[in-house]
Amino acid sequence: MSDITDKEIKAACVFISPLIVLIFLFILVPVLGTLLNSMFQDVAFLDKQFVFLRNFRQLFADSGFRQALKFTLLFVLVSVPIEIVLGMAFAMLMNTHIPLRGLLRACVLIPWAIPAAVSGRIWELIYNYSYGLANFIFTELGITTEPVNWLGTSLGAFIAVVIADVWKTTPFAAIILLAGLQAIPVELLNQARVDRANFLQVFYKVVLPLMKPIIIVALLFRTIDGLRVFDLIYVLSGGGPGGATTSISHYAYKYFLGGDFGYGSAVSVILFMIAFLLSVFYVKAGRFMTGQV
Amino acid sequence: MPMRNRTIHFFGLFLFLFGVAVCGCGKKGEQSVTFAVGGAPAELDFWRELTDEFEKQTGIKMDLLRQPTDTDLRKQGLVTALRSGGSDPDVFLMDVAWLAQFSASGWLEPLDSDVESNQLDTQVFFEKVLNLIDGYDGRLVALPVYVDGGILYYRKDLLEKNGIEGPPQTWRQLVEQAQRVQEEARKTNANFYGFVWQGAQYEGLVCNWLEFAGSYGGGIILDGSDIELDTKENVEATQFMSDLIHKYGISPPNTFTEMKEEEARIFFQQGNALFERNWPYAWALHEGEDSSVKGKVGIAALPHIAGKRSVSTLGGWHIGMSKYSDAKREGFEFIKFVLSYDTQKKLAMKLGWNPARRDVYADADVVELMPHFVYLRDVFENLYSRPNVPYYTVVSEVIQRYVSGVLSGRMAAGEALSEAEKETRKIVEKYNPKQIPNDE
Repeated sequence: MSDITDKEIKAACVFISPLIVLIFLFILVPVLGTLLNSMFQDVAFLDKQFVFLRNFRQLFADSGFRQALKFTLLFVLVSVPIEIVLGMAFAMLMNTHIPLRGLLRACVLIPWAIPAAVSGRIWELIYNYSYGLANFIFTELGITTEPVNWLGTSLGAFIAVVIADVWKTTPFAAIILLAGLQAIPVELLNQARVDRANFLQVFYKVVLPLMKPIIIVALLFRTIDGLRVFDLIYVLSGGGPGGATTSISHYAYKYFLGGDFGYGSAVSVILFMIAFLLSVFYVKAGRFMTGQV
Repeated sequence: MPMRNRTIHFFGLFLFLFGVAVCGCGKKGEQSVTFAVGGAPAELDFWRELTDEFEKQTGIKMDLLRQPTDTDLRKQGLVTALRSGGSDPDVFLMDVAWLAQFSASGWLEPLDSDVESNQLDTQVFFEKVLNLIDGYDGRLVALPVYVDGGILYYRKDLLEKNGIEGPPQTWRQLVEQAQRVQEEARKTNANFYGFVWQGAQYEGLVCNWLEFAGSYGGGIILDGSDIELDTKENVEATQFMSDLIHKYGISPPNTFTEMKEEEARIFFQQGNALFERNWPYAWALHEGEDSSVKGKVGIAALPHIAGKRSVSTLGGWHIGMSKYSDAKREGFEFIKFVLSYDTQKKLAMKLGWNPARRDVYADADVVELMPHFVYLRDVFENLYSRPNVPYYTVVSEVIQRYVSGVLSGRMAAGEALSEAEKETRKIVEKYNPKQIPNDE
């Protein structure tokens, strides 16, 4: 420690100060502002007044919100594990010495590079009832005789958005996990092979334990992203049918649009708290704080 | 010493950039009028031409703020700007469904004194539209630019071919005619359906639902504690909407997942449907060069059940001025220009829209180009407005959700409307200004 001089500490402060200012301006201020706002009756056409927790009480009695909460949690619970498992598989594939590895890596990344709204439109066209690709393939192959209205039931619409999200964000998980895989020292893997461990043993006894922190990072990013899913679903299903695929962000958006900023803020605060608690849980599970990596 | 220097330089640079950013945002030009409007590219080109012409005529500088096509996104842009109290945009177009919210929020500059001093004659507008929508608290806060109402498009040729005296007056007739023609048409076109309308979960669903409900003798009333939503007529109408898809099979299964205005219009225009509910804009496109139904389309009032009357939901856009505008005098000049006979005629001739001025409907050029306008004028005298309350958007969200639930077969109509009424009651209690202050 002693080799860091006061001067260097000062310099460090100078260099990180813009970042501190940015975090303060663009993260802390909006979060606290939203929290404060959620305790007000902040409706553009009514008097602004402090109502403390009234917005939250109304929120929990609001069936539309409960439906959105249930959908969002289920969506994360189903889509994130699939994305991590598939991402792991792709990462391992990209990490082996196979021909055309560069091309494979580039291809896998394409869905991630496409903006979510565009992906939503692509999948909407695939699921489209009259001229969608899915119905074309299914009827051509003779699996179905009549076209299927894929987004027509709550379950169908749910599966449809999960598939679209998995397609879109598996590459992100794969890229993070690939970085983790590449950080595993080759000597360890060679040593395991010398010890005559088979593929599964190497995977479970060597790779997975070493990958744990990076898997948790991937889980953390995907969970938070999944919780605030908006654009993909907004474009793909518009939240229907009957509100079956309305996410929490989408629900908050509707209230902002309707001019009730207090209620919309309360919805956002709940979303923030869920994301925050899950992050704390992940960070604890990953034991990043103790430096034991 | 060099360290300190660098520190100072660094901070100086940071402050400088920050200052540039801040000043850049707040920079003020001359008293130009910023006009916010969205729409399809052709529509925006129209507005561009119009603002150029206005600039040339008056010397007042105009900035056209281009908004997206999507109605919700247009609203979002305006809500953000107006809530922040910025001086731009000065003048903008608003959907009828937002007007109550905007005016109750105090975002709109009353126009009465300008209308009087400038002797703008409001008699020329559709009276009902003006009375229903543009007044707030006894003051005039907006003026109609163009009006819309739901109408029934039908295939004259197909009805004739099947020896049917059309178009249908009642819903029963519509179902019978659609079933007959559909059965016949399916022999050559498996994708043919009798009747397309807007059933996806979005604002258009409420417009359609109100027409079904109204033509069953129902509707929605939100008046303080007097709320009518879960009525026998409305339940029957909602059930009928679901029956069109699931029981009679004359509306496609994707009605409640995909059908918005454009989807229904294209479906009909490709020759795949006998009847279509849509706004008047579809007419010009159905009669376009690349349309496969050109010359085969008729329009009529929407059907109703026996003993009740036909109902059209009032749509359309209105022009208003921001309370925070820094160019009110110039802005009003532009409003007057948009509502002038010439501009309104152009609106009809170039975009095929329905002007809010009644006198344009008698214009010889307009009638020659668009003979159906004569008929539309009658429709527009008789429109049914969506609840004109500031919290309409929230009520609409509830209606959309429950009606969509019925159409997807997840809920029975009675149960859905009873739930929707309960939620609507909560919303009215929450937002009705008279009841709010002492409710804690």
